[in-house]
Amino acid sequence: MIMYTTMPLELVFENMDQTEKQSIREISMGAGVTMLVEPISSSEGKIVRLISPNPQDYLNPRYAPGQTISFQPEFN
Amino acid sequence: MPVDQDSNQRKKLTGDSNQEQQPAVTEEPMPDDAKKRVLDTITQLGQTNVPQLESNIYCLSIIGQVEGHIQLPPQNKTTKYEHLIPQLVAAEQNSKIEGVLVLLNTVGGDVEAGLAIAEMVASLTKPVVTLVLGGGHSIGVPIAVSGDYSFIAETATMTIHPIRLTGLVIGVPQTFEYLDKMQDRVVHFIARHSKITEEQFKDLMLRTGELTRDIGTNVIGADAVKYGLIDEVGGLGKALKKLNELIEKARNEERIVQ
Repeated sequence: MIMYTTMPLELVFENMDQTEKQSIREISMGAGVTMLVEPISSSEGKIVRLISPNPQDYLNPRYAPGQTISFQPEFN
Repeated sequence: MPVDQDSNQRKKLTGDSNQEQQPAVTEEPMPDDAKKRVLDTITQLGQTNVPQLESNIYCLSIIGQVEGHIQLPPQNKTTKYEHLIPQLVAAEQNSKIEGVLVLLNTVGGDVEAGLAIAEMVASLTKPVVTLVLGGGHSIGVPIAVSGDYSFIAETATMTIHPIRLTGLVIGVPQTFEYLDKMQDRVVHFIARHSKITEEQFKDLMLRTGELTRDIGTNVIGADAVKYGLIDEVGGLGKALKKLNELIEKARNEERIVQ
């Protein structure tokens, strides 16, 4: 992998050993909506970032960052 | 009653469009608290019943680092390859999507992932307009030129510099060759998809005295247009207007074919 970036590589790769400890979870809501949530409990989380290609999703106040969202853990 | 609502929600999930779901919400008004409950419980599989406008534009935002094969540490804000590529496939396949708007504010990132995104965008059959806001540096440059038409905000910048390699090098000539080829892939792509020539781009890339930590150039707004890298200086309004024009043009062409 070659990084082609203006950011100094020592900044990019700082805390590389902590990558696994990330507490942010990624949940998908269907209809192309993915969000990064900070878990509060096993079925609740606070939205950190919304990832959706549909610009209208960003107007939905329920998807706004900072909102609490409940989800069901999925067992595969 | 709550059981019915759950099964109702599940039934709606099988419907394939939001338009079908909307009447269901308005036709049977629910008691206020029950309605609230349904809206509050968003399961990982489910959808909310919030009536939504459907957009015919797919919006791809590329922010922070373009992440490839290695997950970057948490202080990096990243755009993940695995998020973008399926989105682009969906955009190409979905008949309701008529155009794609790519918003860039990136510091660069993984060469392969960046080129993959750029190639995907370039090969879409639907009109694509790109808009560089803030910055579109390094591997952001090929992504910025990959659309049908590109815009750059007046204050936005693009850093053009060579690809670097750090760490242990085994076999200097081979590594040099490899890096040179890697660089060529980027330069060819940019020259093919914008009005800048390879010579001009390399000239910008190898300039000295303009960047403190590197060789290369930082082109700002109008300069990027002057060099032919970007088509026009403009913001969101201009970009959406252009995209709608291209969508209209594509519709007319389709009508002629039919």
